[in-house]
Amino acid sequence: MAGKVIVCRCEDVTQSDLDHAVALGYSHLEEAKRYTGLGTGPCQGKECMVACALYLALAAGRPPSEVRPFTSRPPVAAIALGTLAGPDDPGEGGG
Amino acid sequence: MPRTPDCALEFEGESVSAVAGEPVAVSLFAAGVKVLSRSIKYHRPRSFFCLAGHCGACLMRIDGQPNIKACRTLASEGMKVERQNAFPSGGLDVLAAADFFFPKGMDHHTMFTAPRAVNTLMQKVVRQLGGLGRLPDPSPEPQELPAGERLRVDVAVVGAGPAGLAAAIACAAPGRRVVVFDEGDRAGGSLLSHPAHGVAAADRLAAEARAAGVAIRCRASAIAWYPEDEGGLLAVAEQPEGGGLPRLVRVTAARYVYATGGYDVNALFEDNDRPGIFAARAVGTMLIRHGVLAGARPVVLGDGPYAAALCEALAAAGCKVMPIDGVRERVVAARGRAWVSGVDVQSDGKTGPVTRKIACDAVAVATLPAPASELARQHGAEVAFRPEGGGFAVLTDGNGATRTPGVHACGDVCGFRGVLAARLHGSEVGRAIARAFARPGEGA
Repeated sequence: MAGKVIVCRCEDVTQSDLDHAVALGYSHLEEAKRYTGLGTGPCQGKECMVACALYLALAAGRPPSEVRPFTSRPPVAAIALGTLAGPDDPGEGGG
Repeated sequence: MPRTPDCALEFEGESVSAVAGEPVAVSLFAAGVKVLSRSIKYHRPRSFFCLAGHCGACLMRIDGQPNIKACRTLASEGMKVERQNAFPSGGLDVLAAADFFFPKGMDHHTMFTAPRAVNTLMQKVVRQLGGLGRLPDPSPEPQELPAGERLRVDVAVVGAGPAGLAAAIACAAPGRRVVVFDEGDRAGGSLLSHPAHGVAAADRLAAEARAAGVAIRCRASAIAWYPEDEGGLLAVAEQPEGGGLPRLVRVTAARYVYATGGYDVNALFEDNDRPGIFAARAVGTMLIRHGVLAGARPVVLGDGPYAAALCEALAAAGCKVMPIDGVRERVVAARGRAWVSGVDVQSDGKTGPVTRKIACDAVAVATLPAPASELARQHGAEVAFRPEGGGFAVLTDGNGATRTPGVHACGDVCGFRGVLAARLHGSEVGRAIARAFARPGEGA
């Protein structure tokens, strides 16, 4: 039995999932992200985005220079909601 | 560096010895715990990969809190550590049958969608398979939320690696408030994982920065640029020294410098997620910071200067190192299940590809780190795909200025360049910022 090539560790997306997405016409990074879930796990694409973008471009016959990252949205690291919900400190410090 | 355990964790009811202050992930690995987590869909066994808080492979339940990064949590006496989303246990997870039943993978778009009764049943099964962790243990009294902080500075630098520290040193001046934020528990960034530099070099550079009047705030993770709030602010989540919920620091600066470095990236081959397959910098960090060998017979995959430095350091520590350059010889598959036991390596023979099997007990993957460009992009910087730079590099002019006024970037986030070149780049960018402050009407 052939092993799985994991392209996105967080969401268990495999290389054959990407091939399947490309075959269905979802060959751009944002499309493949929506179809396979790549880059939507705890790491938010930190580990997988570049390799997936490159693989999709090559599989679809597009030059790598056209590859774009998916949109970066806050927060870039997981934080507890309590951190955002804490009270404001009225005082103001310097560096 | 000899490792002397001085405290004990409680891992799923068993006592595991640890060095207080080292990452829990390292304690568990050193104690022989091979599987730290199970993957979300196929329940494949996983250990940590990057040891830098980025890859998401080491989420565990720690002291009753779900989804805590074991690589960023420092061991202390009596800390309670458990694996999550596995049944009946992380070591033996029967849900891993999914990995065998679906060798080609599951397509959730089309699988068991009809008839309705099957679909309803399947949804119940999938809910058992999926998800990450369970809700936190209820706390006996309401938790007090940490108060936020408002901080106005002249220069805010994100990342206390060689580039960020060098930039801060170069633009520091009496009366100028320069602050560097770093997500790690110690300043130094990529210096801390590099056998040729290490903790001593990191401490020297950090001491130089402090002597120049730079404030360094560790365990302070820059999480976002919010352009709409208070005229634009950098949000930083800062963990108090004694632990507890991070507080929010709202930072406004005349100039922002993104020196966020790069993320470790895995190579693509069959079963490339097996425990024991680490980012090379994780192997380096374990060796030089924590005195733990990733394996006795490690494969080091990569042909760059970092791979060479790591091979040398591992050999000096007594390992039987097997370098695979990844170009002439490529790793095509990993062997082993709960831990890597070997790799299949392919090279070009006279009549076609030749495959050989190598037995090993660890793999260090030294691919180019991918520029950590998210924050700079949120702050309006432009990126371009640079294969030789590891991915999406932030575009700057010769002075490190991005297309957004007041926003700068330096080091590996502008395309991977390595420790020494990143430090030089940081210095150049810092000097350019200092010159801009010196011009009347500019800067603050």
